[in-house]
This record gives sequence, C-alpha cells and structure tokens, in this order.
Amino acid sequence: MKTFAAIDVGSYELAMKIFEISSRNGIKEIDHIRHRIDLGSDTFATGKISNERIDELCRVLRDYGEIMKSYKVDQYKAYGTSAIRETDNRRIVLDQIAQRTGITIEVLSNSEQRFLDYKSIASGGDVFNRIIEKGTAIVDIGGGSIQVSLFDNDMLVTTQNMRLGVLRLQDRLGRLNIRPEQKEGMLDEIISSQLAVFKKLYLKDRAVENIIVVDDYVSAIVGKNVDGLEHSSVEASAMDNFLERLRAKSVQEAAGILDMPEENVPLLFISGVLINRIAKVMDAKMIWVPGVTLCDGIAYEYGEKNKLIKASHDFEQDIIACAQNISKRYMGSRRRGETLEKIALTIYDSMKKVHGLGDRERLLLRIATLLHDCGKYISLVNLGQCSYNIIMSTEIIGLSHVEREIVANVVKYNHMDFQYYEAMDKDGYITGKEYLTIAKLTAILKVANGLDRSHKQKFKNVKTTLKDEQLIISVDSSVDVTLEKGLFAKRADFFEEVYSVRPVIRQGN
Amino acid sequence: MADFSKDEYYTNRELSWLLFDKRVLGEAKDKSNPLFERLKFLSITASNLDEFFMVRVASLKDMVNAGYKKKDIAGMTVPEQLAAVVEETHKLVEQQYSIYNRSLVSQLMDNGLHIIRHHEDLNKEDAAYIDRYFADDVYPVLTPMAVDSSRPFPLIRNKSLNLGALMRKKNGKGELVFATVQVPSVLSRIVEIPGDEQKVILLEEVIERNIHKLFLNYDIVCSYPFRIMRNADLTIEEDEADDLLQEIEKQLKKRQWGQVIRLEVEEGIDSRLLKLIREELQIEPEDIYSINGPLDLTFLMKMYSMEGFDHLKEHGYLKPQPVPELAEEADIFGAVRKGDILMHHPYQTFEPVVNFIRQAAKDPDVLAIKQTLYRVSGHSPIIAALEQAADNGKQVSVLVELKARFDEENNIVWAKKLEKAGCHVIYGLVGLKTHSKITLVVRREENGIRRYVHLGTGNYNDTTAKLYTDIGLFTCSEEIGEDATAVFNMLSGYSEPRSWNKLSLAPLWLKDRFLYLINREKEHAKQGRNAHIIAKMNALCDKDIIEALYAAGAAGVKIDLIIRGICCLKTGIAGVSDHITVRSIVGNYLEHARIFYFENDGKPEYYCSSADWMPRNLERRVEILFPVEKPQLQVKLRHILDCQLKDTVKASVLKPDGSYEKAGRKGKEMYNAQMQFCIEARDAAKAKNNAGNKRVFIPETHHAE
Repeated sequence: MKTFAAIDVGSYELAMKIFEISSRNGIKEIDHIRHRIDLGSDTFATGKISNERIDELCRVLRDYGEIMKSYKVDQYKAYGTSAIRETDNRRIVLDQIAQRTGITIEVLSNSEQRFLDYKSIASGGDVFNRIIEKGTAIVDIGGGSIQVSLFDNDMLVTTQNMRLGVLRLQDRLGRLNIRPEQKEGMLDEIISSQLAVFKKLYLKDRAVENIIVVDDYVSAIVGKNVDGLEHSSVEASAMDNFLERLRAKSVQEAAGILDMPEENVPLLFISGVLINRIAKVMDAKMIWVPGVTLCDGIAYEYGEKNKLIKASHDFEQDIIACAQNISKRYMGSRRRGETLEKIALTIYDSMKKVHGLGDRERLLLRIATLLHDCGKYISLVNLGQCSYNIIMSTEIIGLSHVEREIVANVVKYNHMDFQYYEAMDKDGYITGKEYLTIAKLTAILKVANGLDRSHKQKFKNVKTTLKDEQLIISVDSSVDVTLEKGLFAKRADFFEEVYSVRPVIRQGN
Repeated sequence: MADFSKDEYYTNRELSWLLFDKRVLGEAKDKSNPLFERLKFLSITASNLDEFFMVRVASLKDMVNAGYKKKDIAGMTVPEQLAAVVEETHKLVEQQYSIYNRSLVSQLMDNGLHIIRHHEDLNKEDAAYIDRYFADDVYPVLTPMAVDSSRPFPLIRNKSLNLGALMRKKNGKGELVFATVQVPSVLSRIVEIPGDEQKVILLEEVIERNIHKLFLNYDIVCSYPFRIMRNADLTIEEDEADDLLQEIEKQLKKRQWGQVIRLEVEEGIDSRLLKLIREELQIEPEDIYSINGPLDLTFLMKMYSMEGFDHLKEHGYLKPQPVPELAEEADIFGAVRKGDILMHHPYQTFEPVVNFIRQAAKDPDVLAIKQTLYRVSGHSPIIAALEQAADNGKQVSVLVELKARFDEENNIVWAKKLEKAGCHVIYGLVGLKTHSKITLVVRREENGIRRYVHLGTGNYNDTTAKLYTDIGLFTCSEEIGEDATAVFNMLSGYSEPRSWNKLSLAPLWLKDRFLYLINREKEHAKQGRNAHIIAKMNALCDKDIIEALYAAGAAGVKIDLIIRGICCLKTGIAGVSDHITVRSIVGNYLEHARIFYFENDGKPEYYCSSADWMPRNLERRVEILFPVEKPQLQVKLRHILDCQLKDTVKASVLKPDGSYEKAGRKGKEMYNAQMQFCIEARDAAKAKNNAGNKRVFIPETHHAE
C-alpha cells in the first residue's frame, strides 16, 4: 500500500488530496484540503503572478508539505494548470517555489489536464463503463474554458475546448450593463452560439444519451439533500427543475439551503445553465455528476503507473481513436495509415535496442503515422508545414503539449528535410531529449513512408531484422518494388545518420 | 398562518436567567439538602450573579450608553430591561441574605460552627488572637490608601472587597479624609479562631478591628466594607487586531478599568462615606446594594471545604464509575473498533478521554492528534499528553480558544506551552468562538489510515468533567472520521469540504439543520403522523428556533424541553405552545449535555451537540452537531431523556405565568434522575466486573465420588 498526495495548483484554488492506494482496496481518499487562492486573475491580466500570491502559495505549500509528512506520504505529484501554464516567467516561478517549499510543480497542458480529469471519471469503474456503452459526452467545466469530449463505441473520439468557463462567463456578464433578469437570457445566447458551431462541426448525427459532468459547483451539491439531485446520476430534466427552483431563491437563501458559500451560488447557476443547455443541444437523457477532481485523476495515474491498480479502461485506445478521427476529418486514407503504422511499428520494435525508447514513444509514432499526411487537406505542396499546423492546433486528448509537438515535428520532417537541433525553431518545449526523440521517430517514419511510396500497401507483410549494422527489411518476392528501392537511398541515409544502422530492402527468401 | 413572532410570546433572557439563579437559590433554601450543600448553592448564586453583572448587565449598560434602540425578543427597550433586571436583582439579593441570616447561620451554629459576624462580638481571648494574626499575617500585605489633595482617589479593583473609612487628623479639627484598603485576596477570607469551639471570623472584620493601626496619625470616624463590580464584557475588535493573542493580553489589563455598574455596601453604612464613594465612582442609586450580612458570599465555597463537616455534605452521589467498555488500561483503539462507545459524565469517568490522548501520544502507529480546547483545567493531563505526543514526533494541532470568557489568562499560558513543545497551535478564528469539542486521532493500521474521533458536549476539562453532566462519543466511523478531518482543515483556515457526511457545523449550517429537523416534525404532525421532539440544553433564546417550535407545537408536535437555564419560550399559550413543556433540572451536578430527539415518524433521530439554541451558539460560534446512530446507544440517550422527564426531586416546571414550580409536589413519587444515573453507572460497571469474574475458571480440586 502506498500513501500518495496529489496537489492541484489550480487557477483559483490550491487543493491537495491524500490517498491510500493498494491493489487490494484500490484508491481511497483520506484527506482533502483546499485553499482558495486567486492565481488566475494575476496571470490572465498581467502574465505574471504577483509576489504576494507567490508568498501565499509557498506558505500553503509548506503547510501541505507538513501535512504530507504527518501522513508519511510515500510520493506526491503537484501539477499546475492554466494559471501557471500561462505565466510568462513560468520557469523562474516554479524554480522559486521548489527552492522555497521543496515541492516541485509540473505544468499540465490543457489536454493533459482534461485527460487526467477524464481518468478520474474513468476511475468510477463499472458505472463509467456502463455509461459509455451508449453515446456519451464528457463536459468538463473549468473557470476559463470548458472541454467537451465525445465517445463513440466506448472510445473517446473527439475533444474540443470552448471558452465558456464559468468564471469567464460570470466576468463577461459582469461587464454587460444589463438588468438581473436579462442575465440568464444573455448567458443562454453566449453559450448557444458557440454550441451551435460545435454541433454543426462535430456532433452531426451522433446520438449522445449521457452527459458526464465535471465541475466545481453542481458537483458540490449533487448527492446532498437537494430535491431531484439526491443521486449523482439524474435525468436530464432534473437540471431544468433545479434551475427553476434556484431562480426563485435569493442568493442568501440558496446558500443556506445548499450549504455553500454565497459567492458560489451565481457560479452554480451558470454551471447549471451550461449543463442544461448542453444537455438540450445534445438531446441527452441522463446526466452523471461523479464529483471527481483533478486530484483524483492524478492519483489514478500514479496508481496505474505503479501497477497498484488495474486500468478499468484502455486510455491508449482513446488517444488512437482520437487520432484516427482527426485523420478522417482531413480525408486521410485509413488503409494507407494502417499500412504505414504496421511498417513503422515493425521497424520500431526491431530497433528497440538501438533507439532505447519506450511504449510512450511507440504510441507517439503510431499517432504520427495516423496523421502523417493530414496537411494535404489544405495543400498538396506544403504538406509538411500544413500537417504540422493542423496537429498543433488540434487537441489530442491524453497528449501533453511536448508530445504533440513531437508528433507534429515527426510528421513535418517526414515530408521536409530534417533540421538539426542547432537550426531548429524551438519554442521552449523542445529540449535536447525531445529533439532526439523527434529525430529517431522521424527516421523510422521516413523509411516506412519510403516503403509505401506507391500507396499500394506492397509492404503489408513486411518483416525486419537487425543484423550487423543493417536493418534487413524483407518483402514478398511477388511484388514489384522498383519504385520504392529507387527512392529509398536518401531516406536510408538519414536513418543511418541517426542510428548508424543501414536499412536494406531484401526481396524473396 | 398564525403569527408566532409576537412580543408577548417571549420572555426576556435576563429575567429568565434571574429565574434560573433563583432556582439555584431554591436549592440553598431546600431543607432536604445537607447543610453544607446549601452553603455551596448559595455561594453559586453569588458567583453566578457576579458573572451576570459583569457580562449581561454590563452589556445592557453599554447599550444604554450607546443609545441602542433595538428591542429584545420580548419587545422590551434597553432601559426597560435594565430597570426590570435591577428590580429583580435587588429582590434576589434580599432572598440570598434572608436565607443566609435566617436559616444557614443559625444552623451552622447548631452544628458547631460559629460565624462571628462583628469583631465587636469577639471575646477577649479571641480578640487577642485576632490582633496577633493581624499583626503577623495581614498587616504586611495591606496597602492602605488615603485620599487628600495630593493623592487622588485610588483605583478600586473589580470584584475586590475593600474597607472604606472616614478619618480625621489626630489633634486637629480638619475635614474628613477618605481612606481605603483592599481586603487582600491572597489571604483566606475565613479566619479560624483556635479553641474548643469552632469559630470563624471574616478577614474584613479582622482588618476593620485593626484599621486604626494603618493610619496612625488619624482618628477613624467610621469604616465599612464595600465591593464594586465593573463592566467587563470583553469585546475584541478582531478585524482590527493584528495579533489576537496580544490583543487579548492588552484587554485583560484593561478589564479592571471599566465603568462601575454595581456597588455593594454593608447595611447601615455611614451616609457621608456612602455619598463620597458614590460620587467618586459615579454610580446611580439603583445600582447600590445595601447588604444585610457579609459582602460577596462566594466565601461560602471555601467554607464548604472546611474540615470536619463531612457529615453535613451530600454523599448519595457516587464518584465517577468506570466505563464498562473501557476498563482501566484498556486499549481504547481496540475497544472503539469493536463499536461506538457512548459515555455519560460525570456518572462515568472522564478518564478514558484523557487515556485516549495519552495512548495516542505513545502509540507508534498514531500519525496525528488534533483537538479543540476551550476551557482547560490547571495542570491538565490532556495538555501534558499533547506535549508528549509532539515530543514523540506526532503531528499535533490544537485549537486553543482564547475567547473563552474569563479564562483567557489561563488559556494563553497553555497555548504558549504547547507551542513550545512543537504543537501547531491555532489561536481561535477571527470573529468566531470555537466552542465545539472534538478530538481526532489519525492512526496508520494494517488496512490503511483509520481515524478515531471523540465528540463531546462538554469541554476537555478533567475537573469540570466531575461536576458537569455531559455526553461523549468515541467512534471510528469512516464517515465521521472524514468529517472530523474536514472540521480541522476548516479550523486551520482551509476551505470547507464539498459536503458533510454526518456532522453539522455552526455557524454555517447548524441553525438551518435544526430548523429543518423541527419543521420536518411539523410536517409529520400535519399529516397526522407521530411527531415528538425532546430537546435538552442549557439555554433556549434563539427567536427563529422558538418560532419554529411554536409552529411545530401548534401543528400538533409534542415538544418536551429540558432547559437548565435561560428559556425565552413561554408555555401554555393557547394555540401556540399548549403542546410544549419546559422543565429545568438544577441538582448536584451542573446539567450541561445537549441532547436532541426527533421522532421522525417512527424513525427516530438522536443528536448531541456543543451548542445551545442561542443566537451566539448558532451564529457566532463554531459548534458541532453529531448524530448518534447505533440503536443500542440511542436507547441510552432516550433513557437519559426519559429519566430527566420523570424527575420529581430536582426538576422545576415552567408555568404559563412564567414562574417555575418544583415538579415533585402533590405527593408524586420521589425520582431523582441524577441519583438514578449514579446507581445505573455503578451497576453497569459492576455487571462488567462480574462478567469478567465468570471468565476465571475454577478447577475442581476433588474428584467427585
């Protein structure tokens, strides 16, 4: 059994949960400590976190350190989300915090953060698996934005971020000079206009029966003694009724009845309206509010990584399904993608000793093969750059920003000449380590792509062996591979440059 | 809907409090109580009254000074309240001294204890002893002060007993000079005179007899004792105070400088002397109490502990009994894992609670101990155990409430001591008094973290736990453990949890919870179902709660209230409170437990709490309401309530006219609930012992033919 602490340095709250994780009892929450701290307003307005806030953050983190000590915590993970992510002097701030508190905060990209939220939901196990059997959407409501992710055949296929976070909406309403009774109408209008676009582009005739909600406000009251919301899973119409009753109450009254601070009541209302609107647009029947937080996802990830718990859901499949879906959107050929994937992975696996990369990089290579030519949707000439841009502007749930950068670069250099580290236009995410990964994966993808030049899947049954500084690529003797062989040399050069191993095509036995 | 908020439906809380003190006085009057117990009760009425003046009357005076216009719950203006309080207090004081003079002094005499009232009554031999005693022991600690043009009127300390004298320069005609000397509190007020007969005289008489020795150049014209009371309600401007601790220390020093709100003088005091004191202290005539007897009857508590009068004290009440589930030296954690344990103090000993902390301090598996401390006794074993725990590397968090009335000085000492030992000490919350009594022990066990919680209705004070009746619950329920963790997170300044499992907290949620529970009974009554509320507490004066009770009562809910002290609710108002009964138990122990029963249509719910139904508890304090859910423990609570409702000896019933009447008249069977609890606790402890004995095997030593 391990005692684990998950720390969420959120934009408006610094939360820590203490867990006991064991293969016998799974994940058990022991303590949940929350401290309100507004890092978001500082960052979003000025790009920097003020010294006062950093002092406060450090003070509370030191306290958290003490609490961890008192529980004899084996390990912790501290993640910062958008407020930290969007801070200009992020590295300085994080180093300062680490020096002052001994706690290292890592930064989550939006998609990583949402993926953890998603993992926390999936930690619901059976309930979750049953719900996603039918068409399901996860609506993850944050302060700044919301993330809507869609399931298809119990796999997550697409995810979109919309700037409809509750605090942002409250802020926008606050700026409008309108009467209180106009507010809800205004709110509905803002939400509906964005949702209409989402529906048109992504929903089409997908049937969404269930909505899973992650938020801070509705989650707080569900399961309490609130009429119609006693259970975490309710019929979609219950939200309508709840809002109806909430409208009739003053903020003070509602705060009293719902056991919540008064300032949260308007946010609860916005969250409720959002959920309700989304449920209506999707024509959903059920709403499930599992009441999980990012900390739960962090714990789940830790438990999974350390093999303390068995994953109840194949998250890698979600990432793949997502990539496949993007490929489809940009008219990628499924068959070609699959062949390329097959060849690339075959090479990857036989080169294992040489490249020294792991499962995660293998997954990145897979995604790169799936998205290898998405840019052609825009331009057949500028294929590399367009693919890069598409990948960088599309969220792939479960991938960190760096990983997305790796995939995008691998795809780009598959089509373009490779640029060396010294010449590369780096944006701070790519370090030497990532650069090498890009080079290694690019080399493999380039060779694989070269083997499928004609797009006729000639190398479908390819076999590879590593032997005496050579990578022998064997292919059936029945197919004509003259074209491939002819164009192969240049690609093989790069491969050899990266690995000091020469790929060679062999035909027949 | 009927209007339950009318002024005439409510009693002013100060007047209701005076009725409570009168009930205590009733015990002093009650001839069925042993003589020395009666002294004790009389002493309690006096110290009660002192506190009442310093806090409540002082606050009324403040309101008058500030021109506060708001009326009270019964629709009385501040001057109206003050006038009524003063009138009733004068009557109460008269009754106190009537009991003292007419019955207690002579009965003490009959029992061989002679109180010499005036030093003039001393015989020669005793007088000589007293003079020696004065010269040897008293004189050195006195600080006589005379007032003349060069020396201003001295500061007369709050609650101190003083002698005031008028004097004239020897061999001079000059004008009268005022002098005063404080009766030193470091010496015993009661001076025993050696001899065959047991005789005592009060210290002020000893000084008065010798006062001329203090002012050698003067002739004493007259001298009389007097005592003052000052405004002492401690209102801390918390929002402005940077450091709460410093602020309270500062306030403590300031306290004795408050406005004089009561002057007690001996009956027959020289009118010139009185006029002088009155003018110097700027006191209104109605605030002067002329006393026929010794001032400040709290000395009777000292008399109670005089040796040789054991036979005149109460022995029917047994000392605290062992808790059957928790034998001495028992592993408390193991016992609690077997099931929740409910304790009824002081019938059952408080020792397990102390042991709980002690064991936790030593237990290598314990990670953390967290506790709220409100009023801690001197040399508290709990503090010692917490210090030890910190020494042993446990995380110890203690919330020490510095705002506990009159205990601040005491609390600061403990708090600093704990901090030194390495405990994390929280000095209360800004704007709120933390009145809840909760202890959390976090222990790492084989199956992970387990939390042990003690929840109580009384303070963690091993001394008062022998005198106050309280309920305590030990549990390791996951749900309560989670809530307890959340309570301490909140007390440490972190955000509230998303939801509570079992506990309800004031000031945020508790009042609504109570109103919900009361209204639920009302709804049940309206639908013709069984509806019954039994609530036991110290005081009831929250208007919202009373209104809800009236509404519930009017809807047919049977409501039985057991309220020791203030009760602003009236009984017997037709259509409003004719289903409501109120009784007050004033007995050997101070009733202190808060227990609540709600019938809930056949699915009864039981709760205990640190809170009374008073606005200060529900709105300005951190309080906890906890449910008692185990059926066998519910039976115990119901039994406690039933016994108290049956009491005919120490219970008084509130009549529709607002007065209280002893429940036991008209030839009812005598039933003393507190006595009954003592017997039951003893029997339970015994039964456990016997059961234990049965486990001892007796081997056969003879082979049977």
